[in-house]
Parts: sequence; C-alpha cells; structure tokens
Amino acid sequence: MEFDLAYLAAQWPALMRGLWLTIQVSALSIVLSIAMGLCGAAIRVLQVPVLDKVVVGYVEFIRNTPLLAQLFFIFYGLPGLGLKLSLFWSGVLSLTLWAGAYQIENIRGGLETVGKGLREAAFSLGLSPWRFFRLVAAPMAIRVGLPSMLNTSISLLKNSSYLQAIGLAELTFVAIDRISMDFRTIEMFAAICVIYLALVLTLSFFASRLEYRLNTPFRT
Amino acid sequence: MTHLHATRLGALSTLAATALLTAISGAQAQSLPPLPDSIKSAGLLKAGVRCDQPPYGYKDETGKFAGVETDMAIQIATWAFGSADKIELTCVTAENRIPQLNGKKVDLLIATLGVTPERARVVDFSKPYRWGGSDMLVAKDSPIKKLDDVAGKIVIMLKGSTQAKWFEDTMPKVDNLRLNTASDALQSLKQGRGDAYTHDAATLIVIAAKDPSLRLVGEPFAISDAAVGVRKNEAAWLAYVDAALDRMKAEGLYAKWIEKWIPADIRPFYSDAFVKPKPTAR
Repeated sequence: MEFDLAYLAAQWPALMRGLWLTIQVSALSIVLSIAMGLCGAAIRVLQVPVLDKVVVGYVEFIRNTPLLAQLFFIFYGLPGLGLKLSLFWSGVLSLTLWAGAYQIENIRGGLETVGKGLREAAFSLGLSPWRFFRLVAAPMAIRVGLPSMLNTSISLLKNSSYLQAIGLAELTFVAIDRISMDFRTIEMFAAICVIYLALVLTLSFFASRLEYRLNTPFRT
Repeated sequence: MTHLHATRLGALSTLAATALLTAISGAQAQSLPPLPDSIKSAGLLKAGVRCDQPPYGYKDETGKFAGVETDMAIQIATWAFGSADKIELTCVTAENRIPQLNGKKVDLLIATLGVTPERARVVDFSKPYRWGGSDMLVAKDSPIKKLDDVAGKIVIMLKGSTQAKWFEDTMPKVDNLRLNTASDALQSLKQGRGDAYTHDAATLIVIAAKDPSLRLVGEPFAISDAAVGVRKNEAAWLAYVDAALDRMKAEGLYAKWIEKWIPADIRPFYSDAFVKPKPTAR
C-alpha cells in the first residue's frame, strides 16, 4: 500500500479540527497546571500547616499512578460520586491534575535555590511571607524552573492524546477513528506525528523566548 | 537447531496421534487441505478474538477466553496442530483488529468481523459463518422507539464498528460519541453521556437480557455477514480456514457451542444467525 497524499488531503479538515481541540485542551491545562504548581509550591515552601502534607500526598499519588487510570477515574468514576463532567472538562481536569503535580515539584525545585539569606533579608525588611513569595521567591524560582516546567508542558501536550480513550475528538482520536474506518495507517500516523512535532517545537520556541526575557538582568 | 528439530518432531508425532485417534473413533472427518508452511512453522495458531463481545468472544469471570468464536479458533488450532493448547489467543478490539492482523501479531481474526468493501480492500475474508445485524440499546424510559428517533440525539458507538460506518453513510447528521470498547460504551450509556448505544444486535441482546434498566429499540439495520479475516495473498491459508468452517458446519459444532455459551431464553436469535439465511433491512 503506497503513501496516498490525496487521502491525506481529504482528511485534512478533520485533522485540523482535531488539532484545534488538542490546542484548546492543552493550552487550558498548561495554564491551570502552572497556577496549581505555584500554589502547591508556595504551600510547601511556606510550610503551611496541614496543607503542606496534603500537597506532598497529592504529588506522590499523581506521580505514582498511571495517567490513563486517573483519566478513567475522572470520566467513569466521578459520575458515581455525583460529578459528571463533559468530555472536554474531564480531559482538562485530568491533564491539569496530572501536570499540576509535576509543576509543583518543578517550581519547588526553583524555590529551593532562593537562599536562606535572601529570605531573612526580606523578612527583616518587613516583607510578609506572601509578599516575599510573590515579589522575590516566585520570579526567581520560575526563572530556574522554566526548563523543567517546559518539559512538563510538552509532556502534557503529548499526553493529551490519551483523551482519545474517552472519545474526545482531539488529534489522535481523529487519526485512530479514520484508521479504523479506512485503514490508512501510515498516512494518518505520519501526519499526526508531524503535527505534534510542529506543535511541540512551537511551544519550545515560545518558552525559549520567555527564558531569554527572564534572563535579561543576567545578560551582559 | 536441535531444539527446532525436536519441536518439529513433537508436532509431527502429535499430528500422527490425532490422525490415528480420528481413524479409530471412525468420525467421517472431512479432509482439510494441507496447512501452509507459514502457519505451520509457528507451531501454534495465533488467533485474534474479541474480549468484550459475549457470547461470541469475551473473558469469563476467571479471566479466561470464552465464547462461540473463541471455540471456533480453538477448534481450528486443534485441527491444525493436533491440540487445543496449540493456540495463542489475543484480545482484539474493533479498531485495532485489522492492524493486529496485518501487523502479523495474529494469523487470523475470528472477531465479530463484518464483511465490508472497505475491509475487503485490506484483508481477505473467508466464507461467511453467520450474519449479524445492528440494534440500539436505550434506557428503559427513553423516548427512542425506532431508528429515526435518534435525530438530534447522541449515539454511542465503537470506533471502526460497522455501525460507525453505517451512521456516517446513512445518518451523518446524528451526533455521536465514539469509544474503544463495549464496556466503555455501556458505562457511558448508563451514565447518560449518550441517548443510545448502537452495536451488533447479538451483543446488545445479552446486555438487555441482563439489565432491566435498558431495552432494545428492535429495528434491525446494517445487516452484514461475519467472516474470518486473514491477510491478503495467503490463499492456501484462506483455503484451509474455509475448509475448517465447512467442517464445523458439517459436524454440527455451532449448535454445540451455542448450547454451551448461550442461555436458553436468548438462544434462538443466535441459532438463526448461524443457520438461517440473512434477512433484509436498511
């Protein structure tokens, strides 16, 4: 069976609709997971009583269970507990919870580099713990943690392909669904690999631009 | 090398033993054509069957492969290699079964595979061994009474299923939710993620009989033949499979398996599918 470009052209609109959904789900989840990472890391570093233990438990739980199991739990399990989310929001929630755990660790790793001396200096200048976090620690931590935050975001983007399992018509879903009808395996998988690659390279490009900007004070 | 040799000798002696047994029991076994080398060299039959399609192919409470089509595969292994143990069963789904076959993970599919022109382009079909129609499962109190009532509703179906194709061609405006397995689909229907779940009638009858909260719509559509799938250009293997299917029919094995796997109250539907000619519908 030879590579059929005409077939690919015919399926292109469907692939683009899938791509658009992949972008929506991933972008939303990346933003939410970073917000979660900031909150979780702040709780850890500021040693908020009780909550910091909850965050530790959460991170361990997410990192030590498969994403697919988490996804099925959210999609099929939560309705049993009275929470029925749509396909889209089930996807966003599972990706956010998954990536959030890693982002907490990424940002916490960055926060660890903010020295004790800096913290003491901030407190002796009268900054509250919250203002210290917001004005001093977080900007520095993000700069240090950015490469690993990007890693997690890339993984999130690629892991959005798991959402085909619950029937969300994202990019991988479109490919698998068409293959199961037309059996053009090579065309479809080649196409989505190239599209994912382009997507990840774009994301990396913007992240490296951001990294460049955040490093402004250190450039000579 | 010696190991290979021993295996071949072993296979030969089992073959001889089976031949002898058959001769002694006096069964008028129809002769099967010689097993092609490509299959014989594996030393066992690699068969793809369904794991979520009772009563055709499923896993029982203990996780063992069960069902009529599973028994068909085991029977072919028995004839081909002289032992019911000479089989490697693989769980296939509606969407991965043809890639599994063409990727040589399995050598044949007895997996509720309906004969369609699209599939005939990529695999070869044996002669049909039964027909199968489609139906829809809905909640007991659902307003859906006939096929056309699904307009404007969400229909749950499996990726790559006959029904997905049928809806795409016949009722393309109907909203759908496409999932990977029958259990996912059933779960989603019960959680109200869709208004109806369409699949092979044979599968849905079993579910409806067990679950009083659901009912069948009962308007048959998309009736097609089910056949064994093999890779293209394996004529000798296809001929072997065809002959094996003839022999199953001649020896009345289908009736035996239907009795073994299907509860009496829903048995007539399945007997018809294997024995009676195909009815006409949309």
